[in-house]
Amino acid sequence: MLPAAFSLLADYTEDYAWFPDSASTFSEGVDSLYYWITGIAFFFFVIVIVALFFFALKYRKAKGEKATSQVSHNTPLELAWSVIPSIFLVGMFIFGAKVYLDMRTIPDGSYEVGVQAFKWGWTMDYGKGTYHPELHLLVNEPTKLTMRSSDVIHSLYVPAFRAKKDVVPGRYNYMWFEPTLVTPKVSDEELAEATKEVEESGGTWDYDKYQFTPDGYKFYDLYCAEYCGENHSEMQTVVVVHETREDLEAWVKKYSSRGDNVSLEAYGEQLYERRGCSSCHSIDGSQRVGPSYQDAFGSTRAFASGPSAMIDENYLRESILYPKEKVVAGYAPVMPSYKGQLSDDDIDSLIAYIKSLSSAGQ
Amino acid sequence: MSAGTTLPAGIVRDPGFPTQSENYLTNSKGVLSWIFTLDHKRIGVMYLIGVSLSFLLGGLLALALRWHLVDPDGALFSNAIYNQVFTLHGAIMVFLFIIPSIPAALGNFLVPVMLGAKDVAFPRLNLSSFYLWIFGAIFFVLALCGSGLDTGWTFYTPYSTTTDTSVILATLGAFILGFSSIFTGLNFIVTINTMRPPGMTWFRMPLFLWATYATSIIQVLATPVLGITLLLLIAERTMQIGIFNPEFNGDPVTYQHFFWFYSHPAVYIMILPAFGIISEIISVHSHKHIFGYRFIAYSSIAIALLGFLVWGHHMFTAGMSDMTTIIFSALTFTVSIPSAIKVFNWLATMYKGSISLTTPMCYAISFIFLFTIGGLTGLHLGTLATDQHLHDTYFVVAHFHYVMVGGTLVAFLGGLFHWWPKMFGRMYNETGGRISALLVFLGFNLTFLPQFVLGSRGMPRRYATYDPEFAFLHTMSTHGATLLGFGLLVALIVLLRSLFSGRRAVANPWGGATLEWNCTSPPPFYNFERAPIVGDPYDFHDIEWDAENERYVTIEPERKLAPETIPDEAPAHAGGQN
Ligand code: HEM
Ligand SMILES: [Cu+2]
Repeated sequence: MLPAAFSLLADYTEDYAWFPDSASTFSEGVDSLYYWITGIAFFFFVIVIVALFFFALKYRKAKGEKATSQVSHNTPLELAWSVIPSIFLVGMFIFGAKVYLDMRTIPDGSYEVGVQAFKWGWTMDYGKGTYHPELHLLVNEPTKLTMRSSDVIHSLYVPAFRAKKDVVPGRYNYMWFEPTLVTPKVSDEELAEATKEVEESGGTWDYDKYQFTPDGYKFYDLYCAEYCGENHSEMQTVVVVHETREDLEAWVKKYSSRGDNVSLEAYGEQLYERRGCSSCHSIDGSQRVGPSYQDAFGSTRAFASGPSAMIDENYLRESILYPKEKVVAGYAPVMPSYKGQLSDDDIDSLIAYIKSLSSAGQ
Repeated sequence: MSAGTTLPAGIVRDPGFPTQSENYLTNSKGVLSWIFTLDHKRIGVMYLIGVSLSFLLGGLLALALRWHLVDPDGALFSNAIYNQVFTLHGAIMVFLFIIPSIPAALGNFLVPVMLGAKDVAFPRLNLSSFYLWIFGAIFFVLALCGSGLDTGWTFYTPYSTTTDTSVILATLGAFILGFSSIFTGLNFIVTINTMRPPGMTWFRMPLFLWATYATSIIQVLATPVLGITLLLLIAERTMQIGIFNPEFNGDPVTYQHFFWFYSHPAVYIMILPAFGIISEIISVHSHKHIFGYRFIAYSSIAIALLGFLVWGHHMFTAGMSDMTTIIFSALTFTVSIPSAIKVFNWLATMYKGSISLTTPMCYAISFIFLFTIGGLTGLHLGTLATDQHLHDTYFVVAHFHYVMVGGTLVAFLGGLFHWWPKMFGRMYNETGGRISALLVFLGFNLTFLPQFVLGSRGMPRRYATYDPEFAFLHTMSTHGATLLGFGLLVALIVLLRSLFSGRRAVANPWGGATLEWNCTSPPPFYNFERAPIVGDPYDFHDIEWDAENERYVTIEPERKLAPETIPDEAPAHAGGQN
């Protein structure tokens, strides 16, 4: 009954919603525990506050009037108010631990996705060389994430799933969940309109604005919850839950490699967005965490260590695979290595794209 | 007897007003007499000024954070600056304000007076811990502002070993501040152990002293761990030894264990003294014996010790083993029981009391309200399953502000208003004081209640920008912060004004029975003209309202006085007199 009352409030409007969507098998357990704890807390809160204000007003006396009691202790009363709350606490602990253990017991045969967290983005590894920042899942299918970080501690958090786990460098952390709600697709017209708008403005896809992905899927938010530096609050991506395995597989396939009739340059641009380069490198000359790509190719760079050099294909390749070898002066050595995560064709595509952004490269 | 119009027979004890030369503020003059003073009261006052300035700085930064968050894409701060500002805000509030506030400022002033002693056990150590604090504070603030720090006040590795901001300077600053904290704690432990006057048994000690004693134990035992951890961090940064950094085969989670092993007990350094203050205020302003004295006294010690066992609850999502996680959850719940019962004790003390809704009492009532919310929302975080969702979200931000600001800060203000007449010999404007309490209460709730909802909806903390669906609640929270700031400003004005135009304070303006109300306001240099008579600190039978002279006096029934020791010769540290 209590949860029902709360959820009535919650549905009142989006602005006042108490919880995000409830979209995994954990949500229900977590939410009902939350409501029960809140209910019990509220119960004790009301007792305390009513007594507090009631006593404060009722026993208000003129100066000098004596208190009508000087009782200084009462053992049965003290025992009662120690023992009764303790029973509630034991209950909370037990149920909390029970639901937690469910969250920790990864079912066999789960759908597996690798997760690489870096400053400041995510790369999901779907196997067979397919990487993408978005997390795509199948409804009612337990999914196991194997997570690692290439720099500092991050934390993968999907509020709609009520699931969170730190991603700690130097070790693998695992988490799992089972989505229960499909994220719908928008109509083709809506998608086409948005795509056109983005193409015309030459900008990047604005997830917040459209509330669906470039493929037309609505989504849940995925945040980094452990503070990780400058763009911590930008370290977000989305979770899409597919209705059928075919749909999911088709999506994965779409991103598995460069298509037959896609140019290196065009594919490079996609990778620039998809693999997190864009979070640190601009293409319009503006300052970000790393140097801009605009007019980079063919220019001469001074390095923090060692002599300066002209930027050519070899330098670009080295920077992608071993970013800490030659760091441009004035920048921190924060870029993660993409070694083993990009195929030769991918690297060629990126180089072609970077070349296209500079007059020397054309 | 009607409200004290005629006084019963007996010896009426009332120290009256201090003469010009016999109070600690006026007995010697000049800046040097303050700088080199060994008087615990002057040191307390200097600490009070120091922590208040720190609080002002931290508070302005908080307002800046909040104003940024109204329109995070607006141009107030870049992400990098926002990160530095929240680090600064958090670090200043924790290390410079909340940890030293009650023990060092109020504690220094009150511990010897409440104990009936002339000073603390080691006055020189006391002065040196103040200068360590000043030095550490200046160093710390310069390090934080000068070259910036963006690690958050927790300095988590490996971020802190790789960021190019001034981690080493800032951690050295925290290290120095740690020494100050240890010295203060040590001094109080020895003072309370050895300097109680005849007749003051452990169970005749006011609860504020029990709280200070428990706090001091934590300060002495836990602070060194923080010091060592910070040294290890510096070693790691400069020499690249692999303790925390996985690049050199270290483990970053080890740092979290070390850090919280100090910092969780540190949370009790923040809240235990507040419990002590509230116990005093509630009892004195209800004119009723504190309910369950022994329980409150023992539970302070219990909380101090149990507080060492629960640090792991900051790491429920870090990937500890399931068994460890579950054990930490269970231990966490054990600490909440003594805290909860204290709340019931305070309520029972008010029951059938004779309550005056003075400013300190308003703050104490506000404390019970806010601390109850802070404590109860801790249950959501101690419960493993719900913490998975709430950890590192605004729910946590709201929870710890309810405990630290709604709890400690409000208690500190209550204590300040309670002992202000004693400290400075002036009464403040009661109406102004109560208005400040009300504004602080309203502003605080408007600031932090919405953050519980933000967190439940999934808004992560330490975010410089956020998704549009969170905008409304953030704006609400910012308006609350402005109101809160205004309330604090009112409190400041009321207190400062009293110094210039307040009525002179009598020795015992509230009718308290603890020893500090037995000396003049402000106290004389050696606190007491003669050894005070020690009785039950919460026995209000003998305290009568003298309506004619508008003051509380103590009516001594004819009874044997405790053995007298008249201070006929000046004590060893009399050097502080000029
Ligand atoms: C004037 C009232 C205050 C306001 C409006 C305020 C606001 C804030 C805000 C917006 C944050 C950043 C939240 C985040 O993203 O993590 C924050 C963090 C924090 N605040 Fe406050 N605060 C106030 C008072 C205090 C006080 C009095 C204390 C301590 C005594 C305090 C201690 C902290 C700490 C420790 C943090 C965490 C810093 C970190 O995440 O590194 N705050 N506060
Ligand atoms: Cu991150």
